[in-house]
Amino acid sequence: MSLVSETARGAGSRSGSGAFLPVAPGKKPAAAGRISLANIVHSYSREAAPVIDGLSLSIEPGEFVCLVGPSGCGKTTLLKLVAGFEFPEGGQVVVDGSKVERPDGDRAVVFQHSNLFPWLSVRGNVELGPKLAGIGRAERREISDRLLDMVGLEDAAEKKTWELSGGMQQRCSIARALATDPAIILMDEPFGALDAITRERLQDEILDIWRNSKSTIVFVTHGVDEALYLGTRVVVMGDRPGRILLDLPIGSFGAETGGDVRRSVRDSTAFLDLKRKVRDTIGHSGKEED
Amino acid sequence: MSSNFIKIDEKYSGQEAPGSPAAGPQATLAAGATAEPQVFPPPNGAARYDTPVESGSGQRGRKRPGRVPRWVKQVAVQLSAIAVLIGIWWAIAAAEVWPPLLLPGPQDVFQQLFVITGYHDGIRGYSNYFLQEHLWYSMSRLLQGVAYAIVLGVPVGILLAVVTPLKWIFGPAIDFLRNLPPLAYFSLLVIWFGIDDTPKVALLFLAAFPPVVIATADAVRSVPGERVNAVRMLGANRFQTILHVTVPSVMPEVMTGIRLATGIAFTTVVAAETINGIPGIGGMVSDAQRYNATDVVMLGIIVIGLCGLAIDTLIRLADRLLVPWRGH
Repeated sequence: MSLVSETARGAGSRSGSGAFLPVAPGKKPAAAGRISLANIVHSYSREAAPVIDGLSLSIEPGEFVCLVGPSGCGKTTLLKLVAGFEFPEGGQVVVDGSKVERPDGDRAVVFQHSNLFPWLSVRGNVELGPKLAGIGRAERREISDRLLDMVGLEDAAEKKTWELSGGMQQRCSIARALATDPAIILMDEPFGALDAITRERLQDEILDIWRNSKSTIVFVTHGVDEALYLGTRVVVMGDRPGRILLDLPIGSFGAETGGDVRRSVRDSTAFLDLKRKVRDTIGHSGKEED
Repeated sequence: MSSNFIKIDEKYSGQEAPGSPAAGPQATLAAGATAEPQVFPPPNGAARYDTPVESGSGQRGRKRPGRVPRWVKQVAVQLSAIAVLIGIWWAIAAAEVWPPLLLPGPQDVFQQLFVITGYHDGIRGYSNYFLQEHLWYSMSRLLQGVAYAIVLGVPVGILLAVVTPLKWIFGPAIDFLRNLPPLAYFSLLVIWFGIDDTPKVALLFLAAFPPVVIATADAVRSVPGERVNAVRMLGANRFQTILHVTVPSVMPEVMTGIRLATGIAFTTVVAAETINGIPGIGGMVSDAQRYNATDVVMLGIIVIGLCGLAIDTLIRLADRLLVPWRGH
């Protein structure tokens, strides 16, 4: 909080002087982080059948939406459309009232493979976003200190990215994404390549981050358990063409209980019922889950 | 095989008395094996399965302090090999299988090193230039040729990668140039530029240019899209994307291209200096050939070879400093 008063010059930050403080609660404009997809049609080549055909989805600020579905159902494509890496052939992607026309620091992406810049140190990776936005050196340093501390990489700040383990690389990737103080965090199977223990730990960390930042999170995953544990809403997609089969507001299992009672949550009747429901939906779409 | 069986017996005895590892027949074992009593006794009659364990503990012993490091061994073996080679050369020369004019001994070549690095019988070096001066002129030509190739080759490579019609036009031209032997167009360069330094530098430039262009163009084309997306989602504009991702992404491949180009230019130096090449190490060699100064020719070859190795080592060092992330 003190950072804001010290540096009230708003150097190119998109959402005023409160930007770059992802942990500061209530700093973000209340409306930031609304995603609206309307009648999306998208295909990779003109000849091929559309990957996504007539999909509509509305996401409110602060939601934690998990997208599950079989491989090739267009989950990742959907994420790319929201990120602005690709553009739909039909329909509109609107974020906070404006059409998505290019990627932006307001919509951070955490990739399946950490996708860090190997020529930069861990800290350099985290500081790149603020640097591109014209934030001064001292303030960048404060941002990276705070975020690296948040993801538990404070001792690895000066390391090369390839010296980190897979879990640490993904932590760094999360810190890098948070450094631009995004209203929306898009995560594409971010824990898919990690071992089970690291994955569970990072799941709880991302819940912490979500609680503190009030960002909207769209999380693509293969795992039904993961989706139910993390999300406040689970959207099940079917393939050929990609469409929404089930849109399930579930409250939040992980977010309200915390990681220490993970096991009891997963064994609870409510969780298992939902899990059956999601699995049945995926099963009925004619493809088994990966 | 029999020695292996003896060792296994010794290990069994060590197994029986783990408290005294240095006692008894174990003292005769290799240093690496003595300190460790077998934790898992090999099953009876399965002696052969145990032998790898024996050699494994021996390897662990090699890393212990006090042993000769591997690189020292390597250098020692390499130096010995060179010494043997020079010995054979000396023996053949001394036996005068061929007349000394054709095959001077190593001592003659070595003596030339002193003759042409200083004044000898009132003559300054070779053809009025010391060996180091010949080398210096050649190296400065090489440096100029390669420098032009880098300064022009990198932007041209980027352009060819980005502007597709340019690739259609100039891609085959670059390939054409790359496949020409430098001597083929040297005559043309002499006709155009005379016999001074210009055609030589131009030749080295033309030899070094294609590898730099091709490496750069390939590198730019193969920048991973995900990496570009990663910087764009941080809010980078087009210029920032090029500066912060494209440039560092292509650097490893460009450095490889430069290393390749320097090597090709270096092998072209002697060809470039066949006409009016003095001062120049290649000129020295071709001039000495005209006068059957075989010892000077051989000295020139050795110096050129060592110089090439030195330059390649320097570039590899620079590569390690400039692109430590290579391969990641």
